[in-house]
Amino acid sequence: MSEKHQTWGWMLAVDFFFAGMGGAMLVIAGLADLFIGPETTSLLGNIVGPLCMCVGCGFLILELGRPMQAWRVFMNPKAILTFGAWMMTFAIISGLVYASFGIPAELIFWRDWSGLRHLLVIVNIVTGLVVATYPGVLLARHKGRPFWTGPGLMGLFLLSSLVTGFAAHFLCGLVLSPAAATVQSHLPVLLAVLLAAQALLWIGYLWIKRTGTTAVEAASAQRWISGDLSGAFKITFMVLGTVAPLIMALIPVVVFQGIAAVLALVGGVAMRMLTVRSGADRTFLPGEQKYRSRLPQGHEKFLKKIWL
Amino acid sequence: MARYVIVMDTRRCIGCHSCTVACKVHNELPTDMVYNPVVQDGPHGIYPNLHSRFLPLICMHCNNSPCVDACPTGASVQREDGIVYVEDKKCVGCLSCVMACPYGARYHNHETGAVNKCNFCMDRVDQGMVPHCVATCHQKARIFGDLDDENSEVYKLIKENQYIQLLPELNTEPAVYYLI
Repeated sequence: MSEKHQTWGWMLAVDFFFAGMGGAMLVIAGLADLFIGPETTSLLGNIVGPLCMCVGCGFLILELGRPMQAWRVFMNPKAILTFGAWMMTFAIISGLVYASFGIPAELIFWRDWSGLRHLLVIVNIVTGLVVATYPGVLLARHKGRPFWTGPGLMGLFLLSSLVTGFAAHFLCGLVLSPAAATVQSHLPVLLAVLLAAQALLWIGYLWIKRTGTTAVEAASAQRWISGDLSGAFKITFMVLGTVAPLIMALIPVVVFQGIAAVLALVGGVAMRMLTVRSGADRTFLPGEQKYRSRLPQGHEKFLKKIWL
Repeated sequence: MARYVIVMDTRRCIGCHSCTVACKVHNELPTDMVYNPVVQDGPHGIYPNLHSRFLPLICMHCNNSPCVDACPTGASVQREDGIVYVEDKKCVGCLSCVMACPYGARYHNHETGAVNKCNFCMDRVDQGMVPHCVATCHQKARIFGDLDDENSEVYKLIKENQYIQLLPELNTEPAVYYLI
């Protein structure tokens, strides 16, 4: 058996990363527009947000066993994946139209339609929040996956999406400055605050999983604390992706703040990779793990050649 | 309407794997796909007081099936008689159902890209026959029938014997009962 326990792969984690980041970028741009004023975030950031979601969709499609039939994921309104797919579609369209308001007036005729812009801002905030949060909800509803189950992941995914959204907006602002620097100048501090919250919440989540839940949940959390995922969790996510950018974001030097934003993005990818990989920990039935460990591994071609 | 269930009499199962083989052969399953694993639970206890039993695993055809709820394409369907199956042409292989199933009863077919699972041999059931795994069990450790029929063997077995269901805490309401 080539894959003893079939689980989602790294491409879904990358989809979660891009979709979450893109969704959060829409939320941030929308809130800035609503409460501070238009064009307070970088035009590049406003365009990159929905494009990131498109990239995420691409990875999601590649993850499918039958990528050419990807349109079918829109068909069952009761499934949370379908809900997420529709929300992502609305967010991409709305986000791209909203971003077009940053294009010079001579190129677009709707630039002065403030009513449409405000409507899009509201749609962006709502759909962006859903897209940023829904991977956590999707995973948390898996009853048989002890590390995911429970409401905790919902908050952690939303938080991580906001972290990566702030980081991406800041980086885009460095490349193409917004018309007003009010928001851009505050992004590193906001990023640092969110990173501090992220560190605390992840420590709390693992501690609760390790001590306050069932034996299988404790075992799955142990993989992060001292098992095979601990190195990636502690070094890549906590140190490089959370604590280091937290410190660097507070240093009032643009280069350090830029590096902090890049590291925060690395942390976002690492967190999703680790979380998706933890899905391999299913609640096994009595004797099942032993049975599956004895199944042939890597002998399929030999078996087919001889017996089939 | 019928409500099909399987009763596994663990007191009779000797772990011969006949059901596993019958299922693989009749359903022409790929080499790396086993719908009907028979696992060994135990031995438990301290010598000489040891106890072990075989647990034939299979899709539980849950009444409250998380796989059907998770399927974004509508390929995973539950019939009115409780049988859960996959409409192959609708499946995009997103593995949502594989991840949602707490019993590990769904398999990604790497040759077709779709997800496959036990469907209680529903073509045979519709013709009034029992699934291959049930027909082949020489120990009569698998009994298939309609739980809504008070005269059925499964109804009587469940009513008169002590049984367990797997992972009841997940509230999936499995249609497979294990007599212990």
